[in-house]
Amino acid sequence: MADLEIRDLKVEADGTELLHGVDIELDKGKTLALMGPNGSGKSTLAYAIAGHPAYTVTGGSVRWKGTELNDLTPDERAKLGVFLAMQYPVEVPGVSLTNFLRTAVNAVNEEDVPVREFMTRLREQMSELGVNQSFLQRSINEGFSGGEKKRFEILQAALLRPELAVLDETDSGLDVDALKTVAEGVNRLSGPDLGVLIITHYTRILRYIEPDEVHVMFEGRIVASGGPELADELEEHGYENLKTTA
Amino acid sequence: MTDLLLDQLTEEALTGRSDAAGEPSWLRDHRLAAFKRTLDQSWPDSRKDEFWRSTPFDRRFDVDRSVVTSGTTGTVVPASITASLDEEAALVRLVDGAVLDVHLPTSFAERGVVITDLATAANEHADLVRSHLGSLTSADPEGTGAHSDKTVTVSDAAWTAGVFVHVPAEVELEAPISIQVHVTAPGAHLPRVLAVLGHHARAAIYLEHTSEPDVDALVDEVVEVIAQDASMLDVVSLQRWDDGVQHLALQKVQAHRDTSVRHLSVTTGGSTVRLLPECDLVGPGAEVRPLGIYFADEGQWFDLQPYVRHIAPHAKSDVLFKGALQGRSRTVFRGNIYVHKDAVGTDTDENNRSLILTEGARADATPFLEIECADITAGHGSATGQIDALHLFYLESRGIPRDEALRLIVAGFFREVLGEIDLPGVEDAAVAEIEARVEAADLDQVQVNDAALQDLG
Ligand SMILES: Nc1ncnc2c1ncn2[C@@H]1O[C@H](COP(=O)(O)OP(=O)(O)OP(=O)(O)O)[C@@H](O)[C@H]1O
Ligand SMILES: [Mg+2]
Repeated sequence: MADLEIRDLKVEADGTELLHGVDIELDKGKTLALMGPNGSGKSTLAYAIAGHPAYTVTGGSVRWKGTELNDLTPDERAKLGVFLAMQYPVEVPGVSLTNFLRTAVNAVNEEDVPVREFMTRLREQMSELGVNQSFLQRSINEGFSGGEKKRFEILQAALLRPELAVLDETDSGLDVDALKTVAEGVNRLSGPDLGVLIITHYTRILRYIEPDEVHVMFEGRIVASGGPELADELEEHGYENLKTTA
Repeated sequence: MTDLLLDQLTEEALTGRSDAAGEPSWLRDHRLAAFKRTLDQSWPDSRKDEFWRSTPFDRRFDVDRSVVTSGTTGTVVPASITASLDEEAALVRLVDGAVLDVHLPTSFAERGVVITDLATAANEHADLVRSHLGSLTSADPEGTGAHSDKTVTVSDAAWTAGVFVHVPAEVELEAPISIQVHVTAPGAHLPRVLAVLGHHARAAIYLEHTSEPDVDALVDEVVEVIAQDASMLDVVSLQRWDDGVQHLALQKVQAHRDTSVRHLSVTTGGSTVRLLPECDLVGPGAEVRPLGIYFADEGQWFDLQPYVRHIAPHAKSDVLFKGALQGRSRTVFRGNIYVHKDAVGTDTDENNRSLILTEGARADATPFLEIECADITAGHGSATGQIDALHLFYLESRGIPRDEALRLIVAGFFREVLGEIDLPGVEDAAVAEIEARVEAADLDQVQVNDAALQDLG
């Protein structure tokens, strides 16, 4: 059994079924790319894995290391090593970024890292990911540019050290250098203990983070799967062929 | 001494008490003049008085009480928030209608700062007290307080424990002056404060309100502060009452030329609190920042009415009040801005935000602008909302349990206000108050707003 096993997953939001039976397997140590046109259901899948309240699982299962995630609250999933880098990270006014990160790290690791040690770790990660130290004074995502938000998502991953990282369009809106920094950040986390599900529209990031497999989603279903070459093919020809086969 | 009933003041009783306290005759006359005005007044009526439209006086305030004057000795007054500061603060403790003690740091006394019992000051600093006491309330027939309602005129007539503060010109106090009002006896309490800051003086006055559990009391408080040219004044009022207290408060500042005034109220306790932080901007270049945070729980009713009067030109005001509610609680925010026809160049803004945590709570907001002058900048806004489900999910998805995430978000909601105040001890005290409220909250009942979930894209 794979570490992540998604079986015949059906998800609805607002009374509309958005995923109509999705199957995905991913082992730790592997990287899987999920591509597909706008509105095909990629983020829906990502949210369903993380436990977003607006998305209701109406059928099938998401098992992570043998545990059914659908029965767990989002924080319980995070404690099992699940992390979602969101496509649109939200600003949370007034909640200090430092306080938030420390609370999260302590909760996930069930320990109480001394403030100084935590700050040292945080500063290190910030400089590696090119996040400005002055952001420590801000609230969560407050006033961050699109690209800064994406970096901050990866910074959180670096602190929380997940075993399953779902990266929902983390590459969108990043300039060339930022893309490289972020990809390097992800690669530093990679290893036999991390499974990566990377959602993207571009092959650019896949040159840095090489997928073992590529799945293509269309209208709430996986319609094609293959090796890294599938991504190149899509970039060249778009999704037109899929539409005719689907 | 004759028992004094709040609802049936008599000339005899007031005279008797004034004489017994050794008050000068002008002060006695001052009290009697106010008493005469009370005879023509009835208690506020929601149908007749627009400032009382949202809060039914007769249901929320009980005036059928005798005025507490005895003072109580041997009670343990909670520690002041200034107790743990590095700087030595001044401290006055008013307990049950009497001044229990006054602590004036040597460094204050050396610079001519006066902090004393108001009755004593009426004799020893007669000029200052006589010209200012009641000048912002009903004593001045030309003043902005001339039409004060009965809740204020009874204080003018019958105030009991009083404090007088004088910070001479050019004296800048680094440490705060804390005035603790502590209630242990049932009845009506009429604390009174008069503070005068000379030109270029600087001071922070904390008003800390506490009570013993289950005391059924009405506190009718009037605070007047005269801030002379280019002075800097901070007033912080903490309403940390236990459940049984009804609190009426007028905290009014007269801000002269180039003064900088901040007022922060933190309201978490009391069954009913009606707080009027007022400021008359009477000199050009004056600035006032009325700030408020409040957290109302089951059964509580808070009516917050900041009032700024732009009387002089080129003055600035910026009002920000934020409140959270849960259980069957009610908050009223009525922000009044008056701009005189000559107050050209006025810059005013006013905002109120309410966070409804659970079903059954209700928050009313009415910005009220009375503008007689065209050449000004004025803005106002108010909004009521719930916890944003996306904020909650974001925090939870990082492993933070729901209740902790809610606490962070609620504290974050108040940060915008607290971030503006850098006074010693205040932020910690305010955060502790709010956290204690959130701690006690029934977080399972918290409703989140999923409307925001619709536009995920
Ligand atoms: N909360 C919701 N309520 C109703 N419909 C939703 C909701 N969330 C998403 N949808 C719809 O479901 C479909 C899939 O959305 P999703 O966000 O999963 O697409 P996506 O593949 O991530 O697209 P993109 O590449 O643009 O990010 C879209 O048609 C979208 O409008
Ligand atoms: Mg998406």
